[in-house]
Amino acid sequence: MSAHADRSCGQTPGKALEAHVAECDPCRDLPPPIERIAMLLNAGVVPIDAGALSRRTLLRLQPELVRLGGTLLWRKAVAALLLALVPLPAVLTYDAYVLRGAYALVSALLPATLAAYLIFSYAAFLVLLFATTYAAIPVLLANPPSARRPALG
Amino acid sequence: MATDEELAARLAQGDDAALRDLLRRYERPLSSFIYRHTGGRDVEDLYQETWWRVVRHAARFDPTRRFSTWLFQIAVNLCRDWHRRAPPEAQEMVDDLTAPDTRQQSEAAADAAALLADLPEAQREVIVLRYYHDFSEEQAADILGCPKGTVKSRLHHALARLAERVREGKR
Repeated sequence: MSAHADRSCGQTPGKALEAHVAECDPCRDLPPPIERIAMLLNAGVVPIDAGALSRRTLLRLQPELVRLGGTLLWRKAVAALLLALVPLPAVLTYDAYVLRGAYALVSALLPATLAAYLIFSYAAFLVLLFATTYAAIPVLLANPPSARRPALG
Repeated sequence: MATDEELAARLAQGDDAALRDLLRRYERPLSSFIYRHTGGRDVEDLYQETWWRVVRHAARFDPTRRFSTWLFQIAVNLCRDWHRRAPPEAQEMVDDLTAPDTRQQSEAAADAAALLADLPEAQREVIVLRYYHDFSEEQAADILGCPKGTVKSRLHHALARLAERVREGKR
């Protein structure tokens, strides 16, 4: 519970008021009737059903929370994608180098058409792998493995 | 148990469980504060607006500060704006805000409210924060955006005024 709980139930003496009087010269000279003031201030509780108020507030704020979560997710996804794109030129250059080498090797052993077909298939597989990896970034951000509930049983 | 500041950080990520916890911790002090500040009018609107701002600006909350100070600062600003709009004086108590088991005490609460209503707004704020919510003078100064000395002097003037009312036998 908060340290600043409302103390309107009337049991607490006016400690804050007493503390003030103790260090305030004019108040010390002519002390105010703290007990009486505290009694009056404590007279009665605030007639509010705070729980009901909070429930209605929570309902009203749900769309705002969803919007906030969505905005943050997009920001994270964009940042992660941009970060993931940084090494892409180097990776592509390396792959092109490897594919050229592989084509040279395979075409020495097999007919050129068959070698081109094999290398093209491998290149298509690599492109698919890249696309899947980048597409997984926003999906994993939206549903991180750590947040998934373990299977029951 | 998570601190208020940790919950505020989670709220900034859109965590509704964090909001639920904060609401549970502060529903009573915050609603009482607004009630006393406005004399019981437009409490629900101001309460919801306060939390709406908390949610909206949670990412800007500085975790080195106290969450309670920040929360009450927002509420104070909203209540001051509300007073500036000069609402009509007619008292409108909303029935569904009133807890059934506390209705019989509403007369006594009205007396205390009248006593507070006698005070100028600035003095009332200090009395409510220091007396009812146990904020220190430094925290009250932080919430109200004024020096600690001003809080002391407002408290002194508020006490003198209350003492005068008591001595006069007025409430």
